[in-house]
Amino acid sequence: MTLGLYTAGDSWLHRLFPITKLIFSLSAIAIIFGGPNKWLSAILPGVISILILWSAGIAWRALKLIVQLLTPIAVILFIVHGFFGPANHQILMRLGPFVLGQEGLMYASLIVVRLVSTLASSLLLVTSTHPGSLIQALEQTGLSRKLVYLLGSPLLLLPQMARRIQTIRSAQQSRGLETQGNLLQRIKALFPLVAPLVFSALVDVEERSLALEVRGFSAPTPKTNLTEIPDTTKQQVLRWGMIVIAVCFLVFEFWRKRNGYD
Amino acid sequence: MSLKEQLKKDFSTFTLALIAVAIVLNIVIGQIVSLLKLPIFLDSIGTVLVALVAGPWAGGLTGLLTNLIWGLITDPVAAAFAPVAMIIGIAAGLCAKYGLFKKWWGVIISGVIITVALSIIAIPIRVYMFGGITGSGADFITAYLLATGKDLFSAVIITVITDNLLDKIVTAFLAWFIVKGLPKRFISRTPRANAVLE
Repeated sequence: MTLGLYTAGDSWLHRLFPITKLIFSLSAIAIIFGGPNKWLSAILPGVISILILWSAGIAWRALKLIVQLLTPIAVILFIVHGFFGPANHQILMRLGPFVLGQEGLMYASLIVVRLVSTLASSLLLVTSTHPGSLIQALEQTGLSRKLVYLLGSPLLLLPQMARRIQTIRSAQQSRGLETQGNLLQRIKALFPLVAPLVFSALVDVEERSLALEVRGFSAPTPKTNLTEIPDTTKQQVLRWGMIVIAVCFLVFEFWRKRNGYD
Repeated sequence: MSLKEQLKKDFSTFTLALIAVAIVLNIVIGQIVSLLKLPIFLDSIGTVLVALVAGPWAGGLTGLLTNLIWGLITDPVAAAFAPVAMIIGIAAGLCAKYGLFKKWWGVIISGVIITVALSIIAIPIRVYMFGGITGSGADFITAYLLATGKDLFSAVIITVITDNLLDKIVTAFLAWFIVKGLPKRFISRTPRANAVLE
């Protein structure tokens, strides 16, 4: 298990304070799903995200990830809503017993555009930010140390556990464990693989908690970081700007809906 | 005990270390199960485990963080379902608190309760964000139900429940067995395991 989405680099986007990127992603997602004029709100944040990714030189990779992650959902969305969409009325085509409807296709398109946009704006954060930097930035912004530990520790543990399961698997297979074959065989394979992993991991918990205590984890005194991720006043202003814009859009749309403008 | 004291007890350093390990167990076991191509997920076994020994808040936090971390490192789509994973932990913890994890039939009822609780959160997310589709095998059920004239909302309700019921009952049982199999030394350090053990 690797930290699969992060792409190392030294562009201006990589150097931004992670929280700035996080706020961008969250504001973009809020606008995509709650902004006025649903098509424009769905498309614009995605286009802006792709442009930003492009200027940082990682748009290509982000687009590949979007295609990879969304193709199954998109194909099924078009088939299901195109042919069986509950709102279908305008008939576009007949294929044997199936009828392709316009409303269903439009609905599926809107959902796909929203998902592409959402993914583009979240990839802007995760492909250009090392998970460790994001967590450190959250700590610098004042997230509780306990939560910081809970976000950071699993990232370090994952590769260890992945190696451990590899060891368990080879050991059990050398004793004749079948991990392929019919359903019953595969169910039977589950326990010899999972049980040693779970129990050995849980036994580690005590040691890990002692190690934390010994290093003063729950001591109330402030801790010093070895490195600090730089933030700038400009970015601070930018963050508040993005929050204000997103809130304005949402409030405007709420007001429009309430007064029956749709 | 006031809420603040209870939270302090629930989130001891020991519990924090346990949650971190449980998050990793969720992700790793979820991967093993999908490698073995089993018809269930088991990706919330760590969440339910924490809920049983450390209560609903710790369980909910385990679920929430599992999906956020998953979203951060492999698939941002998983982050959209973080609230669902959180409800699984909260529901399991509440079932344990009210004594449902003492007898085997209570564990089955807990599995059903967890499924109903997660559906309440999962259905709106699936319908409004994903148009009822998630790109998994369960989409065939949704497609079939829509073809028979059901509306999207009811189709997704039925899909989510059929897709999750078996998984959550099996998960509840496995977590229960694990807790029963843990050494006493371990159990004595957890804040709430007494609600599960007789």
